[in-house]
Order: sequence, then C-alpha cells, then structure tokens
Amino acid sequence: MASINELMTERRGHAGSAVRRRTNFGIFLGPAIALTVLFFVIPVIIDIAVSFTDLDRTLRVSKFTTEQYQKVFQGDRRLPQVIGLTFIYVFSTLAIFNVTFGLVLALTTTSLNDMSGGFFRGVWLLPRMSPSVLYILLWLWVVNPSDVGLLNQFLIQVLGLTKPLDLMTTAPVALVIIANGFIGASMGMIIFTAAIRGIPEHLLHAAEVDGAGTLAKIRFVTLPALRWPISFVTIYQTLSLLVSFEYILLLTKGGPFYDTTVYALYVYRHAFASGQYGYGAALALFLIVIGIAVALLGWRFFDLGRLLQRPRIEVH
Amino acid sequence: MRHWKAGTVTLLIAAVVNGSAAIIASTPALAQDTVKLELWSRQDPSGPLRPGNVVKGAERLNKELAGEGSGKRAEVVVHESPAPGFDDDALQLLKVFGIGQGPDVFIVAHEWICAFQQEGFALKLDDYIAKDPQHFGTIFPSLWQSAKCPDGIYGVPQDAEARMFFYNKKLLRVAGYDNAFIDAMPARTLSGELTMDELIDIAKQVRGKTKAQYGILHRPNKGPDYIMVFQSYGNSFADRGTGKLLLEHDKLAAAFGWFDRGVKEGVIPANNTAMEFDALRKAFYTGNAAFWMYGIWDLGTYAFPTYGLPKDEAAFFADWGWIAAPAAKRGGQAGSLTHPIIYAVAAHAADPELAVRVLGHASAADLNTDHAVATTHLGIKPEQLNDPRYAAAWPLARATELLKITKFLPNNPQFGDLNGILYTALQGVETGRLSGPQAADFVIDEASASLKGVIVK
Repeated sequence: MASINELMTERRGHAGSAVRRRTNFGIFLGPAIALTVLFFVIPVIIDIAVSFTDLDRTLRVSKFTTEQYQKVFQGDRRLPQVIGLTFIYVFSTLAIFNVTFGLVLALTTTSLNDMSGGFFRGVWLLPRMSPSVLYILLWLWVVNPSDVGLLNQFLIQVLGLTKPLDLMTTAPVALVIIANGFIGASMGMIIFTAAIRGIPEHLLHAAEVDGAGTLAKIRFVTLPALRWPISFVTIYQTLSLLVSFEYILLLTKGGPFYDTTVYALYVYRHAFASGQYGYGAALALFLIVIGIAVALLGWRFFDLGRLLQRPRIEVH
Repeated sequence: MRHWKAGTVTLLIAAVVNGSAAIIASTPALAQDTVKLELWSRQDPSGPLRPGNVVKGAERLNKELAGEGSGKRAEVVVHESPAPGFDDDALQLLKVFGIGQGPDVFIVAHEWICAFQQEGFALKLDDYIAKDPQHFGTIFPSLWQSAKCPDGIYGVPQDAEARMFFYNKKLLRVAGYDNAFIDAMPARTLSGELTMDELIDIAKQVRGKTKAQYGILHRPNKGPDYIMVFQSYGNSFADRGTGKLLLEHDKLAAAFGWFDRGVKEGVIPANNTAMEFDALRKAFYTGNAAFWMYGIWDLGTYAFPTYGLPKDEAAFFADWGWIAAPAAKRGGQAGSLTHPIIYAVAAHAADPELAVRVLGHASAADLNTDHAVATTHLGIKPEQLNDPRYAAAWPLARATELLKITKFLPNNPQFGDLNGILYTALQGVETGRLSGPQAADFVIDEASASLKGVIVK
C-alpha cells in the first residue's frame, strides 16, 4: 500500500511537473510565439495570398492570377540593377560600418577611461536615438548642393574649393551607405563593448607578461573573444539592412533615377507609391525568401548552433 | 378644495396645451432634414477656398431651400487630406473608396477623374448639370472638356490656370539682350519664331555673361509643367480614336533630348530634381536663374508675398515676364498647359442632387472670383471678367491670353502613373544616367510592363 501511495505521489509529482512545464512554456515562450505568428507568419501568409491577386490602387481584387510572377521573371528590366545595388549597399554598410567601424569604436572607447569612453559612445549613439526624419534633415543640410550646405561651407571657406559639391547627384550610393552606417555602427559598438568588458582581465595581464603589445592583445585575446558577437551582429544587421529603406527614402527618395533604389524600397515604390499591391507583394515574397535563406546560411556559416548548445559542465 | 382642484386641473391642462403648442411650433425645426456632406480636399496653400467655397455654397443653398419652404438643409464637413500633391491625394482617395468608405464630394486634379469614373466611384453629372443652367450654364465650354470621361461629364471645373516660362528681364539685359528683343519674346514665341532650342541659347548666354547660377529651372517633383516641353515636341500621350495612352518613341526622345541638351549646355542643373521647391523659387525670384517653368498662381502665392516682386503691372513687366512653351521648330505651334481642378460627387453620395446643388452655389461667379484673385487662378465663367476685383488682378487677364493655345493633360485613368514614369526618366536624363533615346526606351518599357493598353508607335 505504501508503495502504491509512493507511486501515486510520484505520478502526481510527474503530472504536476508536466503541467508546470506547459505553464512555463506558455509564460516564457507564449508572448514570443504570439508576436512571431502575429507579425511574421500571418503577414507572410497575407503577402503570399495578395501576390496571387490583381490587388491594385483601389484595394479591390477582381481575379486570382499568376501574372505578378510572370512580370517578376519576364517583364521587369529594373530588377537586376536593383538587386545588384542592394547587394552593394548591404555588403558595404555591413563591412565598413556595422561591423568594422562598430568594432573600432568599441576598441577605442574601451581603451579610454570610463568617462571619456562613455562620452564618445554617447556621441555615436546620437544618430540612433534621433528621430529618423530629424537625422535625415541634418544630412540634407550637410550635403546641400549649394554653398549653404555644411560640407560645402567647410570645403569652400576652409579648403578653398571653388564650386560646391553635389554628393546627392555624384555619389548617392556612398551617401546612403554612410548615412545608414553611422546608425548601424552604434549597435555593433554597444555589443562589442559589452563583450570586451566581459573578457577576464587576467587574460590581458597574462598576455602583457608574455610581451604582447596593444595590437597583439587585440589580435590574440580580444578578437577571439568577439567571435560570437561579430557573428550575431553580422547576421542581424544583414537582415535589418535587407528590409530597411526609410533613411534612403527620406534622403534620396531612391534616386537620382534608380541609383539608390534598394530592393525593399523598390517594393515600396511599386506597392505604395504606384498602388500595384499585387506586384509589390510578389516582389516582397522574394525578399522574405532571401531573408530566410540569408539567416539560415549565416547560422550555418558562423556555426551559431554552437553558441546556443547546452554547456558541457552542469552546475547543480 | 374642489375649487383648488379645478385650478390645478386648469393649470395642468394649460401646461399640456402650451407644451404641445411649443412642440408643434418647433416641429418644423425638428423635422428639418440636415444632410451631412463630407468633402474631401487636399490641404493646399494654393487653393484654400476650394473647400471654403463649398462650405459657403451650402450656406447659400440652405437659404434657398428655406425660401422654397423645404425642410432639407446641407451641412458640409470638410476632410482635409495631408497629401503632398494631387497625385498622392488621388491615390489615397481611390483606396478610401476601394474599401467602401469615402466622402460625398471630392476635389481632384482633372486628369484623375476618369480613374474614379472607371472604378465606379464618381457620379455621372450630365443630367444634374443640364437641370441647373443657372449655376452651370456659363462655365467656359472648353473647361468642361477637362471633366469629361468617355461616357459623360464627371466633374465641375473649379478653376483653371496657365503654365508658362517666367523670365527675368534684368538678367537678360545684363547678358546683352536689348529691350526690344526682350519685350518681343512673348509675341515671337506665340508666332512660333522663338523655339525651344533658342530658349537654351538665351539661357546659356545669361549663364555665361551674368552671375546667375542657373539658366532654366523646373519643378522638382512629378507634376504637369514639364509636360509642356513634351507637348511642344508633339507628344499628346493620348490616342484620339481610342483615348488609350499613346507613346511615340521619336517624339519622346526629342523631348528628353531637349532636357539633355539643357543640362549639357549648363543651363538646366543636373540636380534640378533633387533640389527643394523653395530653393528653386528663391533662385529664380532672387535673380539667380533666367527662366522658371511653372504656373501663373505662383505670382500670387509666392512671388508677390514672399519674394516681394512688384504687384504693379507696369513695374512687374519692367523686370519680369513670361512666354508660352516655345515650339520645337521655327514656325511650329507654341503651347501652354492648363490644369483645372474639379469638384466631383461620389457615386454613393448621401444625396447626389443636394450635393450637385451645393457645387452649383460653390461655383458662383463671386465665390470663384474670391478664389481666383486670392491665389492667381483663372476663373471659370465669363461674367467673372466683369468683376472689378478680377479686372484689377492683372496677372489673370494677362495669363488668359495663353488660354487660346492651352492644352490639357489627357483624362486617362493611367496618366498619373505614366507621369511618374516620365518624371523618373527625366531625372535619369538630367543626372546623366540616360540619353534622350534611352529615356524614351525606358518610358516605353516601364509603361508597357506596368500599365494597360498602352499604344506604342
């Protein structure tokens, strides 16, 4: 009898544990799952549905059709240029600013004393904290093609340039990369700073004892410790850059001509500026597929699975 | 006691009788049927009285209804849309109608009206207009063309204007042109003697011999003015027989070629499409550009109040002037473009007859003249010419001369989309990305891929 009671207690315990696990699952993962379904899965399903319609500027569907996909594959001569530009924009912004410059900022500001480092990090965070419209208004003033532009005032009055520069026309791609990069760099800076701060100091002291200089300490101690943060920032910012276009829209409107029209902006122009919602949805579907593919490839390439695996030493 | 009771009863009866009398007396007010008419109007500093006159029109109609002994009243509720331009506004309104909502009356640029007609969102007005000759009978017949779709009239013209090339006579004088040449430019343009290429030559001379930074400036966004250049090179954009969009490669290439030459000669800035409206206006009105391709209302809206150009006719024409869009070749036809804004009634309007009557009153000559003189737009009725205020507003009378050669944008439901493609190609040409023929190819490719039923020649 006693054994039956023990068994029942054990079973009740197991049952209680299962209920608790389900409850915990609901509490901890439920909101994330709900948000993912609401803001990712459902929009993707809607996008797929819209892409097979002729939804136009009146928001009415008169037929279900595959003609939007025919247009993507046969009729759109701008797509190769737009895809090429998107690659250049994402790769350059990522490589120059979001990772490299973010890393440089993290390394330099952590090598200063706390107050100075914090000050400079605060300065580099300003673009991210500013409202996008305000940030771009400042840029428009800086690169104004007349002699009232800040850059041109400097070039003309300080460096003696005779004619004002017009970067919006002559170097629009560089301009959107820099404008986006200044914002993107701050995220890498914060993550890398946190990671650098997490490096045990005795490793740096040991390196010094072994005769390592500043560069050697960065090369052999700091950078290996930043492997995971760099992987994460690369994947996260790639996905972010692929789908973001608001700063480009505000700064150059995608122009001149199609020079700064990245894929996401191209989708926006078709769907919302021209009212071709069906075609915009078809184009957007490819963006979703590309995004998922990039995420999976990045996961594999950077071996992010290892980052999330269970620790081999269990602590009880 | 009984006496008291009788008094109470009497009082009660009196109260009931008086109350009933009061209720009966107020019955007409209660029975008054107030129809709310929602008016969709873009927030537009160049035409605040477009909605304002509809509100006043409703007030006038209500007095008329009261005189007729009718219990019906109209109340106009204005919905102001923040769209930056008429194209964006029309696209927004199409969506609103598409989801089964929308106003009873709306204000729209004329070239969009057939997009609303095609989707069944606009009310055909022929019968209503025919019933009310008192209010609609004297509107210029030519203006009704701007409100016509294939099967009838779908709008009431609200105003008109003239578009032209303004020019700075002071700069031309400094550049070496004498007064005889400068003053003869409008007449030479109308006779087809002054051509589009000569315009570039004049602008080039101004650039070379004065401190002016620019030769010719145009608007930095999608709109009607630069279409004048396309019209000068023979582009009508609409097939006369079918009304479908028409694209003619050689004529398109010739028009784009003019912009291309303008940039290469240094008279049109390569970044014109990237400049701000205010910067362009400032450049012209402060003597930094020879020509400004825009519309007559710019004088009343910006040139006089903001940049202090002389309001006196003689003083104005001493230093400033305008010409029509020159012909492409000597002996050809000069042109101008008018871009009427129109009132339209929604197909689902709560009370279409009442809505049209409100628009009739809103189109009264005196109200329309208020709008015309305040914003330098042209009137819609000949009787406005007799109004001393209209006669005193000399830009209107002088710009009316251009109506003889004026053209409209085609009333094709897809023209707004085509204009977007034209503007993108124009930007491509001016920034050196496309040549004239390449721009024509681009327009034809894009239009053929995204628009329906385009005829290409």
